[in-house]
Amino acid sequence: MTIKLEQVDDYRWLIPRTGAMRVPGLVFADRDLMKSIQEDQSLTQVANVATLPGIVGHSLAMPDIHWGYGFPIGGVAAFDLHKGIVSPGGVGYDINCGCRLMTTVLRADEIRPLIKEMVLALFKNIPSGVGSTGTVHLSKSKETEVAVKGAAWAVKMGFGTAEDLERTEDRGAMEGADPSVLSERAIKRGQNQLGTLGSGNHFLEIQVVDQIYDREKASHFNLFEGQITILIHSGSRGFGHQICDDFLKMMIKSDANGQKSFILPDRQLACAPLESDLARRYLAGMACAANYAWANRQILMHLTLETLLKTLSIRPEELGSKLLYDVCHNIAKKEQHLVDGEQVMLCVHRKGATRALPPGHPLLPEIYRTVGQPVLIPGDMGTNSYILAGAEGAMEHSFGSCCHGAGRILSRTRAVKNAKGRAIHRELEDKGIFVQSRGKRTLKEEMPEAYKDVSQVVDVVHGAGLALKVARLRPLGVIKG
Amino acid sequence: MDSNSAAFTLLDHTADLGIMVTGSDLRDLFEKAAHSMMQIMIQERSTGKTSSLQLSVSGEDYADLIVRWLGEILYLFQGEDKIVTCAEISSISQSHINATLQTVPFNPKQHEVLTEIKAVTYHRIEVICENGCWKATIIFDL
Repeated sequence: MTIKLEQVDDYRWLIPRTGAMRVPGLVFADRDLMKSIQEDQSLTQVANVATLPGIVGHSLAMPDIHWGYGFPIGGVAAFDLHKGIVSPGGVGYDINCGCRLMTTVLRADEIRPLIKEMVLALFKNIPSGVGSTGTVHLSKSKETEVAVKGAAWAVKMGFGTAEDLERTEDRGAMEGADPSVLSERAIKRGQNQLGTLGSGNHFLEIQVVDQIYDREKASHFNLFEGQITILIHSGSRGFGHQICDDFLKMMIKSDANGQKSFILPDRQLACAPLESDLARRYLAGMACAANYAWANRQILMHLTLETLLKTLSIRPEELGSKLLYDVCHNIAKKEQHLVDGEQVMLCVHRKGATRALPPGHPLLPEIYRTVGQPVLIPGDMGTNSYILAGAEGAMEHSFGSCCHGAGRILSRTRAVKNAKGRAIHRELEDKGIFVQSRGKRTLKEEMPEAYKDVSQVVDVVHGAGLALKVARLRPLGVIKG
Repeated sequence: MDSNSAAFTLLDHTADLGIMVTGSDLRDLFEKAAHSMMQIMIQERSTGKTSSLQLSVSGEDYADLIVRWLGEILYLFQGEDKIVTCAEISSISQSHINATLQTVPFNPKQHEVLTEIKAVTYHRIEVICENGCWKATIIFDL
């Protein structure tokens, strides 16, 4: 299927309404990125999402868009609460997959000789890889508490401080979580995985701030050149996957029973009307997974701190760690947005997209009210990551959303083929990046060439005014699952 | 399905992984799909004490049925730490499967996980019969 594109400006491309599309598509990309986007099926997926009932504005795609299942990865879509739907495929299996970034007062030039030691210690202390089990075993009642209280539960158990919650999206606990909607399978899979990094593209990275773009915002974010930061990328593990899978199957069934008055272009877009009981139950279950993920990243951060203090033999004040922010990038949220001059509540799906609230937004914590929300954009293990600040353009054009990473360009199979005969860990070491990985194929699947150039992706969201560049981070050490 | 009967083609998908499986009949197709998925995931599956279990799966149509069938086998690994080494389907219709599965307990020291499949998706799912040959296309979430 060929998708017609009309260039709107340097950073935006319109997919005009055709066929069953209820709204046009809008893709944020420059000319060069668009070439690679056109090579897979992701634009068809943008058009498919546009056919779903109650979609408002445009079916959106961020510049890191790539072919996913159902929704494209990098997709954003907002739905009317009365006429619209919620789709588990529009959130993804890894509910509240996200990032958190911790700053320190350490300088890279002081600790460079210790990077290997730090990475090895983190690799030993932080459970990662397939089926890894966590530091915390949860009884059913404790798991229920995690699902409702999220990061606050972890803080109560001693994994962090109350200040961390201020610096976490939704204070680390989404409202409306109801564990009574969860299956036994979901409960079972969640019991042993809290405090684990996972596998695939999840990682923990020691980085150095190597460029500042906006001194005022950087200072507000407590960032300085040469500073050591830690980035954690993980999600809700098997718990979230099971919840997505359970509800997707329920929605497939109701669709097959003819309860819907429209044809799904792809079964993975299975959905339920937002006013239905099934949608209510999905959102209650999704919130449980989101909260589990926030607790997970809170615990992972605490394990990281403990490990660094021990490895470097320093006191907490010498490490000076502070959470900058924690953002999710796989979620559906009821939010207020301006549509045709009126403030309306919408259900915004972000599948591989980060919220990017501008200065002055009422949902921002007081500390970021004047500068905007910190937006964390991880690169891959061989390239830079970025910190941006949410900007007004996001509220005008993308329902308060921005890109979430670099976005793949090579399939995992092709990446492994391209990496044949190469020692990826050595190539990275030559670039000053020490990597430890659990899975045999992970380093090849996740090698830098498998991803788009994150700098190019970030330049698009900056240029389009969705979020503004604050600082660039260079990896020094990485642990992968 | 036995441990020597692989018959699938890997499909390129940017974020995930797809396979195309063929079978002489429906039973053969579904058994091969199960074996292919396990072969992608785990190396040397047969090591360990074998147990047997009965599995019944229902679906709306062939496409839904194959997703749920593979989903159940995947769950045995994810939720029960059981590796399916053999799946024999005793009856299959458009909406139902009865099968006997042989499993061994997952032991990370003995079983190498080659690729972690996290879910069996409905994206572009297809089960068709062409010129008497059954064919399925399945995309996995990695």
